[in-house]
Amino acid sequence: MSSSSATPTRQRNLLALPFGRAKAKPERDMLSISRSTNVVLNVAMVVLVLLTLAPFYIIIITSVTSEASLTENGYRLWPEEFSLNAYTYLFREGSIIITAYRNTIISTLLGTILSVVLITLYAYPLTRPNFRFSTFFTFFAFFTMLFNGGLVSYYMVMRQVLEIHNTMWALFLPSSFSPFWVFVLRTYMKTNVPEELIEAARIDGASEWRILLQVVLPLSVPGLATVALFSAIGIWNNFFNVLLLVDRVELYNLQYTIYSTLNNIRFLLENASRMQGVVNLADLPSQTFRMAMAVVTIGPIILAYPFFQRYFIRGLTIGAIKG
Amino acid sequence: MLNAIKPPKPPKEPRRRWTKDAVVSNLAYLTMVLPGAIWLILFAYLPMPGIVMAFKDYRLQRPPEDYWIQNRFIYSLIESPWVGLENFRYLVLPTNLSNTIMFVRNTVLYNLLFIVAGLICSIALAVIIYELTNRFWAKLYHSIFFLPFFISWVVVAYVVFALANHSGIINTALAAWNLPPLEIYKEKIWWPFIFLLGNLWKYTGYSSILYLAIITGIDRQLYEAAAIDGASKWQQFWNVTLPHLVPTIVILQILAVGRIFGSDFDMFYTLPAGSVFVRDVTTTIDVYVFNMLRSTAPLGYPAAVAFVQSVVGFVLIIVTNYIVRKTRPEMALF
Repeated sequence: MSSSSATPTRQRNLLALPFGRAKAKPERDMLSISRSTNVVLNVAMVVLVLLTLAPFYIIIITSVTSEASLTENGYRLWPEEFSLNAYTYLFREGSIIITAYRNTIISTLLGTILSVVLITLYAYPLTRPNFRFSTFFTFFAFFTMLFNGGLVSYYMVMRQVLEIHNTMWALFLPSSFSPFWVFVLRTYMKTNVPEELIEAARIDGASEWRILLQVVLPLSVPGLATVALFSAIGIWNNFFNVLLLVDRVELYNLQYTIYSTLNNIRFLLENASRMQGVVNLADLPSQTFRMAMAVVTIGPIILAYPFFQRYFIRGLTIGAIKG
Repeated sequence: MLNAIKPPKPPKEPRRRWTKDAVVSNLAYLTMVLPGAIWLILFAYLPMPGIVMAFKDYRLQRPPEDYWIQNRFIYSLIESPWVGLENFRYLVLPTNLSNTIMFVRNTVLYNLLFIVAGLICSIALAVIIYELTNRFWAKLYHSIFFLPFFISWVVVAYVVFALANHSGIINTALAAWNLPPLEIYKEKIWWPFIFLLGNLWKYTGYSSILYLAIITGIDRQLYEAAAIDGASKWQQFWNVTLPHLVPTIVILQILAVGRIFGSDFDMFYTLPAGSVFVRDVTTTIDVYVFNMLRSTAPLGYPAAVAFVQSVVGFVLIIVTNYIVRKTRPEMALF
């Protein structure tokens, strides 16, 4: 008996989800909310959208404020004087941000490729009814979602057994596999790759590897794209493992670099009164410069977002919900 | 999330042994899972035995030359003396007790707050998005609400700083109206609100996707029947929409209960930007363990906390799942 048909009742109960078959929602019918409710809800949504976007606006507008007007007037929603100095300063030669950018890009690329390969290779056999150890390997991955050795032990093992601290590996290796995405992708493959197609390929004499590469993968592209995107974002935003495992400035990624500078500047600003005469506020590391750092950190994500969002919403809903 | 992480039921055939025959006939599949399995062994299973550190007086020592393993950590772990519950006792010493209560309380209360608020907001958002009559705008709103999910907490810390520091946007405005300034890095009262807002901002759009997908899948005839019987939108929500969402909610809550002693480390660690004045309301178990790890205190202390965190989480998830399975088997996670 195949494992996919082993749980029919449970799946049906959980997911009365006739995705393709559900009638498309008409623009307006007897079930629609009234026009006035619709207007009220739309206004509420627009307000929420503006609030959601406000943080982006704040850091972007601060980053293009001139340093002088920031020191004089404080942070403003609309600055008196604009300046792009922070950005020219940011990308001058030998800047720490360039090293951090390089580290982030390299680790994101390597980590994304590695995680897509690892996760795909682990997920595919779990969809096969004739894989005799499917239960074992499912449990092997699932157990790590329920139990872990704790932070102290993890820290010691990374530093003193695997010794990946202070290497480029620390930036992506610990986050380049995830049982959660294995299960999402497994579900995606099960629902989107017809069993008959695989059987047909096998009858034609295709090897398991060939079936995976030429039959299953082309049909799983949205699922793979979702895994790739979330891995990429996870590694791009990786802060914890750098905090834990990297002590050398030349290996800091963007997140850690901007974190440590924020910490310094907050301390200096809050204690400026106590340190009168010791620290001159005007000599502090430029604040617009820090905001520009935050902007270039999220820049690539924001720019890429409109293009990838349609893929992952589909990959995520089908992979995570459908049986 | 839901079915995706449900392992399939054990297969019916009784024998699934690691016989030579079975291995040979599944060699291709085994080669495929091998790299992932190695990753799991190195990064997930290898740290697991280290959990016994909680019961040891761990001291780093150099192994003698003839010892079977030359790794210092493994040697020290094996050879350090057992001290029973000594490390746990440290946490409840009169001098440390209030501190221990503080970070456990923070962790649990913040989690409960986020669970309840997150649940209400994401379901509300999903329902509203679904009800909007213009699909184009609905999708656009949702895409924007999803965006914060991809922004790191470090960047959010910058936003909080720009908004609320000494000369930040809020304080500039307050000063203009001759109001006293807001000192978020010195006053504790603001932090629950900052964390709650941050949490909702980042995760509501993401978690509503799941609910939205389920609502979209509900048969419209159910609503039509309810509407003909005179049910209002509100009644339709309670009697049609919500029952469809309950299984998903239950499964997500089982997982959330298992994480009740965990926390979003990046958020609690980065948003206060290292301020010591608000430590009492921003330290969670994870932050405490990390700070202890970086201090000169014996490693047994943070290990004891980490042990409680892992084991309690594990036990809670097993127990909750057991209870759910006994009462409503179809909703259990495993």
